[in-house]
Amino acid sequence: MQQPVNGTGSVALTVALLGNPNTGKSTLFTALAGIPTRVGNYPGVTVEEKIGRFSHRGRSIDLIDLPGTYSLSPQGPDEQVAVDVVHGRQPGVPRPDAIVMVVDATNLERNLFLATQATDLGLPLVVALTLTDIANRRGIHIDSSELGRRLGCPVIPIATPARQGLSELRDAILTAQTPAPLLLEDTAPAADRSPEARDAIRRYALVERLLSGTINRPTEARGLPEDQIDRLLTHRLWGTLAFVAVMLVLFSSIFWLAPPLMDLISGGMDLVSAWVGALLPPGAIRELVVDGVLAGIGGVVVFVPQIALLFLLVAALEGCGYLARAAYLMDRLLVGVGLSGKSFIPLLSSFACAIPGIMAARTIENRRDRLLTILVAPLMSCSARLPVYLLLCGAFVPNITVGFSWLRLPALVLLGMYALGVIVAAAVAFFLSQTFFRGPAQPFVMELPGWRWPQPAVVLERAREAVWSFLTNAGTLIVAMSVVIWALSTYPRNEAAIATDLAARRAAVMSRLNDPATSATDHGELAAELATFDDPADHEAARRGAIQRQSFLGRAGRFIEPVVRPLGWDWRIGCAAIASFPAREVVLGTLAVLYDLPAGEEEGTALERRLRAARWDGTNRPVFTLPVALSIMVFFALCAQCASTLVVIARETGSWIWPMVTFTYMTLLAWIGAFAIYQFGTWMRW
Amino acid sequence: MSVACLTLDDAHVGDTVRVGDVAGEDRLAIRLLEMGLTPGALVRVLGRAPFGDPVELEVRGYRLSIRRAEAARVTLEAI
Repeated sequence: MQQPVNGTGSVALTVALLGNPNTGKSTLFTALAGIPTRVGNYPGVTVEEKIGRFSHRGRSIDLIDLPGTYSLSPQGPDEQVAVDVVHGRQPGVPRPDAIVMVVDATNLERNLFLATQATDLGLPLVVALTLTDIANRRGIHIDSSELGRRLGCPVIPIATPARQGLSELRDAILTAQTPAPLLLEDTAPAADRSPEARDAIRRYALVERLLSGTINRPTEARGLPEDQIDRLLTHRLWGTLAFVAVMLVLFSSIFWLAPPLMDLISGGMDLVSAWVGALLPPGAIRELVVDGVLAGIGGVVVFVPQIALLFLLVAALEGCGYLARAAYLMDRLLVGVGLSGKSFIPLLSSFACAIPGIMAARTIENRRDRLLTILVAPLMSCSARLPVYLLLCGAFVPNITVGFSWLRLPALVLLGMYALGVIVAAAVAFFLSQTFFRGPAQPFVMELPGWRWPQPAVVLERAREAVWSFLTNAGTLIVAMSVVIWALSTYPRNEAAIATDLAARRAAVMSRLNDPATSATDHGELAAELATFDDPADHEAARRGAIQRQSFLGRAGRFIEPVVRPLGWDWRIGCAAIASFPAREVVLGTLAVLYDLPAGEEEGTALERRLRAARWDGTNRPVFTLPVALSIMVFFALCAQCASTLVVIARETGSWIWPMVTFTYMTLLAWIGAFAIYQFGTWMRW
Repeated sequence: MSVACLTLDDAHVGDTVRVGDVAGEDRLAIRLLEMGLTPGALVRVLGRAPFGDPVELEVRGYRLSIRRAEAARVTLEAI
């Protein structure tokens, strides 16, 4: 044999953790190396690279956690990376000095299939036999020393919760040697097959020979409580009910638990802004720091509670084995539109916010399914769209009952907006899967791992890593973009133009006030609007409106007016829509500014009244009618008005092509949808 | 009765069957073999998902779920 791995001097040893998915590999990584020193993506692919470092008996060891793989004949980018790393073909990663092969003791046959391939690598090898405690409970007993003798490498039993076997494993890594290749024998059924098929068939025959006499397991699998639970949770009726319950808990926790935390963060950011604002002299620098940079940072940090909560829950579900069951239960429903069962949780999460939803798509191993899921996830109506729906439904949809006394039209329209997103997402996914993503059927072959308690350390690490990668990779770019948007909506600032704008607005309000045709309610609203021009306390609101109307953004709004006219919009709505492209939640604030509402009144009835009183410039025709309100809502339901989502798509897919595709198709669909509903509504005389 | 033409897709929930072969040499066929559905392996059909697809199997001591279209690639032989 070759020399043991510790004979190479004082440089760090590189050791790769190879194993099937769901074998306790992440748990073992955390137990050996703790928090990873390096987490990122392998260059060119969106496969997670995770490297940790520990030292043992004076040697420091770099531990590479490879993506889980079922075979060294790789299928898909994850398995490809695992194979490339062990062969030393992955750029930027040194060829490992040794392999730790993680073998699940409860699932020995299929795990040893990969282990026998690992013995052919020509690298020093140690087998870590994990989950031995669960195997023992199932009545499975393994003669690990005999198995090690047959494999030609040490087999170290590990019971991770009790951390038994870890120091033996560390010792074994330092003294690991390259095993002799195992011989595959010919078997009859393999004779006329392709080399890959022949290898697989012969290898399982080899595994059966290795296990004969080294494993003692009950002939009839011993029934454990978790088997009963499994029957229940994958049952057609009870399994579906349990699934609905689990998803309700998951969904409501990000929808209801996260907002108080997000309010806390916004409140904290407001305090910081006020404090910094007080330190700086008034002027451009203060506005840049407070309204540009700090507002941008606040806009990033506010997503952290949702991402952290979702990843804690998803990692816990993954750790206990439920994630695969959920995909199993939902697969049929989603495969019809070109997605797969694993798309369900990312899409459901996107109803709260597309950002954690898109990040949760990491749990989909299949690259095509993952990309399709990411592309349609932003169509789910996220919580930032809800205030827009609520305002417009409340103000412009007649509050009449529909059929039943409890069912009112505004509620039905609100439901319709959520349904619209789902239906369009299904249609887009189906269309893409039949056209650009057409290809051979993607195998679904998926293991349903055994039930076990999630490891808190692994769950926390997943959430921490998700939050960290969002803040460092997407966050910095989002802050930069929000500064640019702030500048566009603030400059150029021409005091003369602002004064002209203010005077023109005041004159328009005055002329309508003096018009005998103006109704009494409008009269009140106009009087309030006039006050914003004349009352020094409210003057700042009118000034903010004038600045924004004169800015690049306001000019853009006027410039695109011909494009939004067919949607029934005036240039101010167009302007608000443009301003909402970085983040749709700003639309209400922007409308409030554009319609000269004093600061702090953008929520609720004040804005509603102001919008109702809005008229086309120089006429007495209301801007906001039911068809216009519907057209705005449809536009917001379908449009990709969220720069953060686009940045996260770029980061998760490793390419700027996909956010561009998402942005283009969603904006086109939004315009077409808004056009259709406005024209139809006008034609129906709604 | 000849069972040579039967596939895993035809097996009922609760049945234990023996794999005859996996048809084809494509990625899917190789993956099914690699997951342990090799000639002679015993498979128990544990259940079907709420919409009838996919199916849940027990093979070589673990749980595997595959779609029915994939199960149709696995021919059975008499036990």
